[in-house]
Amino acid sequence: MNKSNKWDDKEIAATATGVIILGGLILYWLLQMESTLELLELAYGSVKLFNNPLAF
Amino acid sequence: MLNSLWSRYTRTLSLALVLLLVIVLELFEVRTSIYGNALPFFEWMRNSFWFGVIGTKYGSFYATVQAVHLLSMAVIGGTVLAADLRLLGIIFRDIPSETLTRGSHKCFRISLTVAIATGIFCAAGVADKVYYMEVFWIKMLVLISGACFVFLFKQPLLNSRPHDEINPWALRLLAVTSLLIWFTVAATGRWIGFS
Repeated sequence: MNKSNKWDDKEIAATATGVIILGGLILYWLLQMESTLELLELAYGSVKLFNNPLAF
Repeated sequence: MLNSLWSRYTRTLSLALVLLLVIVLELFEVRTSIYGNALPFFEWMRNSFWFGVIGTKYGSFYATVQAVHLLSMAVIGGTVLAADLRLLGIIFRDIPSETLTRGSHKCFRISLTVAIATGIFCAAGVADKVYYMEVFWIKMLVLISGACFVFLFKQPLLNSRPHDEINPWALRLLAVTSLLIWFTVAATGRWIGFS
């Protein structure tokens, strides 16, 4: 743990960059998941994970 | 007052200025105009003998370069997993994280250089195709922001002092962000291949 309990410049900058990039990437993958689910629903009416109509 | 603030928080204020610049450039649609003007460069890459033509005419050469690209990506994956899972306290707990992150960063630097050099050659062979792919531009954006994150923010902080003096939540955040960055670079790379 930081002994002075105060965040210095490097810590603040690295954490802020991490939050921005992590937020952006999580949003990107969530949007990809949503559009994939929408496509599956459009194609098959409902989404059945573990019961892929292409496989049967 | 301003001078002392700038000297104390140079990195943080520079980051804020860069973010502000990105927002302004986006408002003036600079990215859109750059995208339109980049097409001749991609066409040149595709038709250039040393980039696009040699890659598409000689399949074995292209396959060899792509194999080196994949191997360097594997080394990047290995160094990222070792360093970041150690920062999260999941693996290699008997090795000091300072030793592991410094050692693996040397490997990471070399393999990232090789991956970028071979990646340019691989992309040149299909430059007229990848130019129109959204996922290619996502990969480039994540690669550039990931490299900036590692070289300008993460590694300078990790090298600056013993890791037990850094806030543990900051360390965890750095590790998770780094893992997701390189996962996205690898996943979008395969996505380009299958598109």
